This record gives sequence, structure tokens and C-alpha cells, in this order.
Amino acid sequence: MTSAAITVTNQLGMHARAAARFVHMASMFDARIQVECGSRTVDGKSILGLLLLVASRGTTVTVTAEGVDEVAAVAALLELVRSGFADGASSE
Amino acid sequence: MKGVGVSPGVAVGPAVVAIQRTQILRFTVAPSQVSRELSALQRAREHSREQLRQIRKRVAAHSGPDLAFIFDAQLLMLDDPLLVDRAEAIVKTKLANAEWAVHLAMDEVATVLDGADDPYLSERKGDLHDVAGRLRMNLRNDTGGVRDLVRRLDRPCVLVADELTPSLVAQLDWTHVSGFATDAGSWTYHSAILARSLGVPAVVGLGDISQRVSPGAIVVLDGASGELWIDPNAQVRREVEARAGRASGAPPSTSRHGPLSTRDGVRVTIQANVDRVEDLWAAKHTGADGVGLYRSEFLLSGYDSNLITEEYQYLAYRRLVEASEGHQVTIRAFDVDDQQLTATATPLHFRPAHEGSRQTGHAGLRGIRASLAHPEVFKSQIRAVLRASALGPVRIMFPFVSAVEEVRAARRLVEEAREELGEDRTRSEVPVGVMIEVPAAALMAGALAREVDFFTLGTNDLIHYTLAVDRTDERVSGLYQPLHPSVLRLVRLVQRAGARQGIPVSICGEMASDPVILQLLIGFGLRTFSMAPSAIGLASHVIQQTSAAHVTTIAARVLRLGSVADIETYLGDALDDMPANVVSSIREE
Repeated sequence: MTSAAITVTNQLGMHARAAARFVHMASMFDARIQVECGSRTVDGKSILGLLLLVASRGTTVTVTAEGVDEVAAVAALLELVRSGFADGASSE
Repeated sequence: MKGVGVSPGVAVGPAVVAIQRTQILRFTVAPSQVSRELSALQRAREHSREQLRQIRKRVAAHSGPDLAFIFDAQLLMLDDPLLVDRAEAIVKTKLANAEWAVHLAMDEVATVLDGADDPYLSERKGDLHDVAGRLRMNLRNDTGGVRDLVRRLDRPCVLVADELTPSLVAQLDWTHVSGFATDAGSWTYHSAILARSLGVPAVVGLGDISQRVSPGAIVVLDGASGELWIDPNAQVRREVEARAGRASGAPPSTSRHGPLSTRDGVRVTIQANVDRVEDLWAAKHTGADGVGLYRSEFLLSGYDSNLITEEYQYLAYRRLVEASEGHQVTIRAFDVDDQQLTATATPLHFRPAHEGSRQTGHAGLRGIRASLAHPEVFKSQIRAVLRASALGPVRIMFPFVSAVEEVRAARRLVEEAREELGEDRTRSEVPVGVMIEVPAAALMAGALAREVDFFTLGTNDLIHYTLAVDRTDERVSGLYQPLHPSVLRLVRLVQRAGARQGIPVSICGEMASDPVILQLLIGFGLRTFSMAPSAIGLASHVIQQTSAAHVTTIAARVLRLGSVADIETYLGDALDDMPANVVSSIREE
């Protein structure tokens, strides 16, 4: 199991477009991925689950992966969050 | 299982199950039916996915990737474990039908979303409702599902249904059906005639076959003995197949040359209903004699109506007229709602309102009413049609007419459009007619006949408004009865009004694709039918086997009967001598 925490920095937090990118990225890995925010833990491959986290700007989320490609998965997802969810960040 | 064999031959194939009967929105299913619900859900999901992809593509092309993103999110929701996996779990644990389970799963997520005080989330809730609604719609629209499934199958299936309703019969591509089996019902005689006309082995009167067979199960049936097996072992299968004296499921030949007439020499014309020029190729192959209904509103689907210029329309109509190679083409003016006629393309516009451009049942500002409210839009369409008329015989038809005044106003605009173009650019004779689809128009057919050059009966809407039945509402869809005496009387009234005035009357509703009703309509004196290209092969075949004299006698008797049940029973007996002729002629081919 690989796990790491990161703070959401983009303007609108992890709302729809960001969550969609996260799911797209997470779905590329075989590992089971979970995202924890506050008291709630959701499936990282579920857009509805991620929306339910209401992870706004400044919130810290913990990404946990379990499976053959867990290390790569966590690294990629952390990079996505760190970049403000790639190119969509500024336009949002 | 054993039922009544109504059409000889042996059929083997995977089952496609069509439940036509009224369904309750929420019900519990037997444990043995769970897998069926799950596969229905899977089908609905695939169907929804395909629809969303199409919409996404259209939106991306016209409005850019930002708006298309909405549908990316919806596509992800379609695969979201919280929605579909959860719905599957609900089907398994609560034994809920799939439609209900989708609703329950959506409710669970929506409740949590409600708890979060975030405007972005409430927007996503709208998407969630959209996705769940689409899934449920596709689950309920199993008629369309069956039709598509049948078409997609790589080998012919055995169709298993509670009953074969005329609308299902008209929609199916029978070249993909090797045999069928039904629970029974009032349409037994109808199924029998249909099966023998098609040369498809059939067993009816099986009671609950549609509940017992799961989709995809291998069904073997013997239409001579009335026996049917579900997933039989290889030995049974070999034995039954050995009984088959001839190859099963050979549909009647679909191509035909020369004019069409009944067995006793009465000329009948079959034309095609066409949405796009591409449909015309299929139609011509089946022997269609022109286009009896071109639904011009399909030009609008997916487009900003500001982009639909006279020039754009002219090019489309010209292609249509040229492709018809001198055969008559009847172009129906846009039959859309006022908003669709004038709206600019927005994602909202693309969503439910536009799908399939389906307008049946809508009784607002649509058809000729919308056209008269926007005379410039209407005139640009008419100018485009008139210009195309220089290249071949074209007729103009106004939809949804309910009063003589509307016809007069529309004809004035046609004259204006003609004057604007100048004489030399149009054909001198462009007949102008009306679609008779509102009961008011049918009842006033005598007065309308003096104002127009032709009538086209639009029976789908005529039945809808006469019987006040919305066919898409399963709770009442069983009341949608083309053979209702009120409908038949209106059809007869319109036919007589046209004949008295000496104007042509054709019929373009689905009811004409039904082999039984088609014969009855010939009996009423109708001689021109327009239908979906896929229905033309069978209809031509039926017409050639029909004796016009015989069905005219039958039709006169039918008009004296007061209920659907009486009419069905009578037709069952009266038309019973027909199948034998059909079968023998198929064997000769």
C-alpha cells in the first residue's frame, strides 16, 4: 500500500472538471485507489465519490493506492493535484 | 414447452425477449429474473453511453470542448460505482427492477450531495439526474432496445415476446429473425398471419414464455408441432433440426420490379418515409415508388437553426429530388416546436428536447402553427422546396393542420414565396397538401379537401389524439389501438372526402406496415402507402397476395363493428384464407 497527502491549491478545489481528470488518471492504473478527506473516504475512480468529498481549496486529501502499480499511481495523482489539475486550473 | 404451431419450420437461435405489455415502474422481480434485469441495465448503460458520445461529439463540433465537458462528466457518472454498481447491488439484494434500482441509487447520492452547501455540486446534481433519467428512459424504451439488438446480432435470433404488437412488427428488421414465440394474447391471429407471410416458423400461446426465457438463451422451436425448447442439449437440437424439411427463416424476397398490384389487379403504390437522403438508397432497393414523407425537420437536428438557410435547404432538397430519379417526393414542412424552429444551439437545446426529433403527442406551437408564427422561416423553406421542384416532381405538405384558415394562410405564403422567386425558377405545378393527423382535420376533411391538392394520413398522431393515449407511457400504451373503431372511421372519412373531391389520399403512419391492417386499408379504398424502407418488402408481398375485392367486403363489415375485440375476432376469421396463398407463393419463389 502506498499513501501520501497533498493540499488542494487550485481556485475551485476538486469540483467537477478536476474530479473528472482525477478519475481519468486514476482509471489508468490497476491499483485500487482511495481518497480521504476529513472523515470521508471514497473510491478514487468514482467521480460522484470525489464530488462528495467537497475538497475545496486549502483542503488536504490523502491518496492511497493498493496494487501492482500503486507507487506510480500515487505519484501521478499527486502530480495532478499539485499542478492544479493540469491545464484546466487557470481557466476555472 | 408446447404451444400452438402457427407457421411451420424449425428455428434455432439466441432469444431476444420483448415485453410489450404495460410495465409497472417499480416492482420486485423473482430471484430467477435478476440476471435479466442486470443485463437490461447493462444494455441501457451501453445505449446511454452511445447517446452521450454522440451528443458530446455534436456539442464539441458546434460549441467547443468547454461545453462538451458536461458530457464527459456524465459519461464518467455512467461508469461510476456509486451509480451503476450500486444499482446492480440493489437489483440483487432488494430484487428491485432495474429502473427502480437506478432511481434508488441516484437518490442515495443526491441526498449526500444535498447535504453539501456548494453551488458547483448542485449543478452536478443536475448531471446526475440527467444520467439516471437517461438510463431509466433507455431501460423503459426496450422496444427500441430490441430493435437495435436484433439489428446488431451477428446471427438471426428467435424473438420471444408476450405479444407482437403492430408497432413492434413495423420496427423490426425481419431478416434477422429466424423464428418467434409468444405468450399468446389477442393478437394470436395477427402473429399467425404475420409469421406465414414472412415464412418464419412460429409458436404462439405459450403462456409465460416471455418470462421464462432469458435473453441470449438458445431457443429451438418447431412451428409445425408447436414444441419449444430452452437451452436444449445437442441431441434434441439435432433431432429437431433433422425434422426441418427446408431452411428456416427465409424472408420473402425484398426486391421487386415493375408496378405493384393486388392479386386481382388493383394498382397500389408504396412510397418511402425518409428522414435523410441516405435512407432513400435502401428504399429504392426495396422497390419504393418515390418518397411519400420526407421529414425535413431532421435537417435541424444538431444545428443552430440560424445556420439552416434557404441555400442549405435547397442543396438538401435538391439531393433528395435528384436521388429520387423522377419519382414523386413529398416534403413535409418542419414539424417541430416553435422553440426548435428559432432557437440557437446551446447544450440545453441539445438535451432531451432534440433527441430523435420526436414530436408525437406534443400539442403546442408546432407544425404549421409554428411555421405561421415565423413566416420568414417558413417562406425560406418553401422557396428552397420550390427551387428544388425544378428538378423533379415535388409536393409540399403542411403538418399538424387543424383548421381551414391555417391552410389558406400557408397557401398565401407559398404564393408569396413563388412570386419572390419568379416564375422561371420553379416548376409550374407543385401540389400543396396537408397531413391529416389531428381529429379536427379528419372530421373536417370535406372542407379541407376543397382547399388542398392532396391528403396524407398521419396515423401515429391521429391515433394518439383520437384515443388520448400517449404510447410512450407504459401504463396506457396498451390502449394505443390502431384497430379502434373510432380510428378506422376517421380513416374512412378522410379517404371518402378525398375521393369525393378527386384528390389523392395516402397514408404514412406505422399502422400501414402491419400486414393485417394494410389489407384492411386497401379495403377502405386506400391505394398509396408510405412507410419505413424496412417495412416495404413485407408490405409489397402482402399486397400481391391480397384480393382487393375480398378485403373491400371485409372492410365494410368491420366498419359496422363497435369494439376492438369484435374487429380482431372478425378479422381473424375473415382473413384466415389468406395465409395459405402466401405460403404457397413463398415456396414457389
